[in-house]
Amino acid sequence: MSHLTLKAVRKSYGSVEVIKGIDLAIKAKEFVVFVGPSGCGKSTLLRMIAGLEHISGGDLEIGGKRMNDVDPSKRGIAMVFQSYALYPHMTVRENMGFALRFAGVAKEQIAKQVAEAARILALEPLLDRVPKELSGGQRQRVAIGRAIVRNPQVFLFDEPLSNLDAELRVHMRIEIARLHKELQTTMIYVTHDQVEAMTLADTIVVLRDGLVEQVGKPLELYDNPSNQFVAGFIGSPRMNFMAAKVVEAGSGTVTVALTKQGNVRITLPLTAAPAIGSDVTLGVRPEHFGLAAAGDADLAVNVDVAEHLGATSYLYANTGTGEQLIIEREELRNELGKESLTVSIRAANSYLFDNSGQRLR
Amino acid sequence: MAQARLDRRDQITGWAFIAPALILLGLFMIYPIVWSLWMSFQVGKGMNLSFGGFANIMRLTKDPVFLRALGNTFTFFIVQVPIMIVLALLFAVALNDSTLRFRGLFRTAIFLPCVTSLIAYSTVFKSMFATDGIINEALMAVHLIGAPIGWFSDPFWAKVAIILAITWRWTGYNMIFYLAALQNIDRSIYEAARIDGVPAWARFRYLTIPMLKPVILFTTVISTIGTLQLFDEVYNFTAGNGGPSDSTITLSLYIYNLTFKFMPSFGYSATVSWVIVVVVGILSFLQFLVARDRRRSA
Ligand SMILES: Nc1ncnc2c1ncn2[C@@H]1O[C@H](COP(=O)(O)OP(=O)(O)OP(=O)(O)O)[C@@H](O)[C@H]1O
Ligand SMILES: [Mg+2]
Repeated sequence: MSHLTLKAVRKSYGSVEVIKGIDLAIKAKEFVVFVGPSGCGKSTLLRMIAGLEHISGGDLEIGGKRMNDVDPSKRGIAMVFQSYALYPHMTVRENMGFALRFAGVAKEQIAKQVAEAARILALEPLLDRVPKELSGGQRQRVAIGRAIVRNPQVFLFDEPLSNLDAELRVHMRIEIARLHKELQTTMIYVTHDQVEAMTLADTIVVLRDGLVEQVGKPLELYDNPSNQFVAGFIGSPRMNFMAAKVVEAGSGTVTVALTKQGNVRITLPLTAAPAIGSDVTLGVRPEHFGLAAAGDADLAVNVDVAEHLGATSYLYANTGTGEQLIIEREELRNELGKESLTVSIRAANSYLFDNSGQRLR
Repeated sequence: MAQARLDRRDQITGWAFIAPALILLGLFMIYPIVWSLWMSFQVGKGMNLSFGGFANIMRLTKDPVFLRALGNTFTFFIVQVPIMIVLALLFAVALNDSTLRFRGLFRTAIFLPCVTSLIAYSTVFKSMFATDGIINEALMAVHLIGAPIGWFSDPFWAKVAIILAITWRWTGYNMIFYLAALQNIDRSIYEAARIDGVPAWARFRYLTIPMLKPVILFTTVISTIGTLQLFDEVYNFTAGNGGPSDSTITLSLYIYNLTFKFMPSFGYSATVSWVIVVVVGILSFLQFLVARDRRRSA
């Protein structure tokens, strides 16, 4: 139940810098999720917190104490690995109790703690099996149990569910959420699955290229991304981006023309006033397209592919200019085979980004 | 029906393919083995043989040189195999550490002895262990010993020299097996143990060794067989006589001497050969027994 502070934390491998100065404050009992594209440094950052990687620069504090050079076992953390990392020759019981033997915990106490963890994770019937006799989900539960028995202040998870199939992943996701509620500890969770991020997190940290792009509550990131990268990364299917040009800037509004969508114009409320003629990008989420004439501007598109998922339908559409749009419409399931379509966009649900990808508000 | 006929034809084709190898194996391996078993019941010298029943086995129990060779072979086995296995394990674990510098160099250096020529290495070792050789000189220079050790004139030191030599030659060979096995172990298992506060010695004792158990068993059996057949080093170091006064003679060397050096006694030397087979069989069985998964069999 410790809070964590990262101050200008850096990591270099030789001359390659992979973590480029990260500042982060994580509150006690918070569930924080690191997301970001592959190779952005999520695992590296987590492993630095765990003490498995040396910190090249900056400070790491756990519970108010500087931990940069403290042995991993003395940081009050426990980690769950993607590969489970179970001891293959030990039973579930031994796997969970093994480390406690070296912490000077009495035998009866170990048995008690293992039994408690087994109860929390419903592992009681499996205690005498070895890992190869378990399913993937069961193995991951054992790995979590091994972390629980140590009563850590902070749990670290590195993509714990990515080796599981879709159904199990949903199940384990709920398990982990329940666990966080029950244990009330700080948890840091790495994933590139944004559904996991959105559903589990109190706070999401979006990383890119060793830097923090945005920190916030899941819906905050969804509703109010501070740049084009976060806007594109959070939300599935991803946000549509359309090239645009500023044609008019009034007081508190700006009008842009969608250059690759037949110069359709739309006026947005905006305090920042970009120069007239400057290139900007308009972002619209797939679920924010409306029926024709129901919004502030209409777009005529050709449908390439339609995916009907039952509850909703995704249309992959283009306007003949190379810009592909993904449109989500619930009512379109009955309009199979439709080649062309007119949809509307609303100013209130549109985002404007400048040339460097920063959000214009 | 058609299916069954096809199966039989497939079988014939299969056997036809392996027939040449089988014939050669039968001719040059199985036939001699069976013949040697037959031979082991023959008595007499040279070509003048006759069936002697268990006479050769009785002779074994009363043959002081055989008992000496058996004892020596066991001494080599008991002392050398554990030392070598432990050394190989330690080297493998050390060389598997990704933070160690010049790993490739060390790995090659430790592995190289087992691909060097036997004659070359025994000749070099022989000269190193000579009374005025480099080993005595070095030990005297650092005042570990006052007078040169008679490596090949003292029964005890002669055994030590041979154990040192074969350990030097075969440790790297075993190490490679362990290294290969270690590299297949998921690194995060050790990372998890480190985070959980398992000390380094316990990671070695309770994680590495159990996970390497199948490989350790394999190398132990292979090394046991190798040591029980120990011949070349002793032959080269002692000019073929297992001296001083039979203190380094091994079963294999004795077999050689019985067959080719003394008045040939083919029957009896076949009996001694079969002793090695039986001993290897018993020892391997015991090793499998010890290594058996206790939890599973309980
Ligand atoms: N030992 C290493 N030596 C050099 N570069 C490394 C090393 N480990 C990681 N990197 C680099 O650091 C960067 C971040 O790696 P990291 O494993 O943290 O990515 P990640 O965000 O966890 O990606 P993924 O989602 O694929 O797991 C990558 O570009 C990677 O190539
Ligand atoms: Mg990773």
